[in-house]
Amino acid sequence: MKDVAFVVPVYNEAEVIRGVIDSLMAVTPHVVCVNDGSTDGSAAEILKAGAYLVDHPINMGQGAALQTGIEFARVLPGVQRFVTFDADGQHGVDDAVRLLTLLVAGDLDIVLGSRFLGASVGASRFRKALLKSAVRFSNMTSGIKLTDAHNGLRAFNRHVADTIEITAPDMTHASEIIELIARNGYRYREVPVTIHYTAYSLGKGQAGVNAVNIAIDTLLRKVGRS
Amino acid sequence: MIVVQLLLVSAFLGLFFLALRSRTAHGVSASKKLGFLLFMLVVVVAVLSPALVSAVANLVGVGRGTDLVLYLLAVVVCFYVVNDYLRAQDSRAQLHKLARRIAVLEALERYDIASAQDRDKDVTSNLPDPHESTDDA
Repeated sequence: MKDVAFVVPVYNEAEVIRGVIDSLMAVTPHVVCVNDGSTDGSAAEILKAGAYLVDHPINMGQGAALQTGIEFARVLPGVQRFVTFDADGQHGVDDAVRLLTLLVAGDLDIVLGSRFLGASVGASRFRKALLKSAVRFSNMTSGIKLTDAHNGLRAFNRHVADTIEITAPDMTHASEIIELIARNGYRYREVPVTIHYTAYSLGKGQAGVNAVNIAIDTLLRKVGRS
Repeated sequence: MIVVQLLLVSAFLGLFFLALRSRTAHGVSASKKLGFLLFMLVVVVAVLSPALVSAVANLVGVGRGTDLVLYLLAVVVCFYVVNDYLRAQDSRAQLHKLARRIAVLEALERYDIASAQDRDKDVTSNLPDPHESTDDA
């Protein structure tokens, strides 16, 4: 799959990033890691693993890292398809490959991974409930019906890569991407994926209380645009 | 009373000159400077003549001049906070744009990739050769 580029936002994942990159390099040589001002050895690990390192001089948040990664990936020669992929080992490479296949087969612009059509391994009941209500909120505000609003695994084509512009720097970018799908009229579909929650990734993940933040930011964006 | 008036007036006048003498004030529009000057005049007058403030307060239906000043202060503080927040957001957005651009350019250089612009229309080929002399003599 030489026409595929993975975009991986990295923030302090030195422990696990190497393994994630290795598994992605088996699919394509184009693995773009955006080191978002990590304070550990992430940058060195990325270079050692042989992925492209794009280095944010300061920490700006995952949304900014995704946008930077997409901008770099789209000038790589021969790249036509893009996947956003988490650096903490929650996503499965086989899921990503399935998304890519569906992107082409279904003549779609963007394919989104969903935890709720698939399985969550190791998520608490509270986390599941929280994510479900996040989805209800997202469906109300974005006008797009999804089952999982905050999943970082997505595959999309050149058209999306060239036109998407994520401006929300922090964790609200997931909601923003959904709004962009609605506004730009991308042909989209959700596909079940498995999220592997490990003690490591849960420790690194967002605190549930951050949901409040995301909700408020989303509403502010709506107000700001009117 | 006189002591406090002296202190307040000199403090505000000091602030006024500090604000206008700073280098950054060059970029501030004249209308803003005039507004600031007017505001300072009002403040100085208010300090020197509390009775006048009380009269104005009674005019708008507030009991005491002190209360009027307090209300106005609350409005000014709120306005300042919101304005400052919005400006901070704007400059953060600009900073992020800049930092992301630097990151991309640095990476393009590191991996020796021509940016899309160069690929789309060969910009470099249209530039004159710097070593070629331009005069015909």
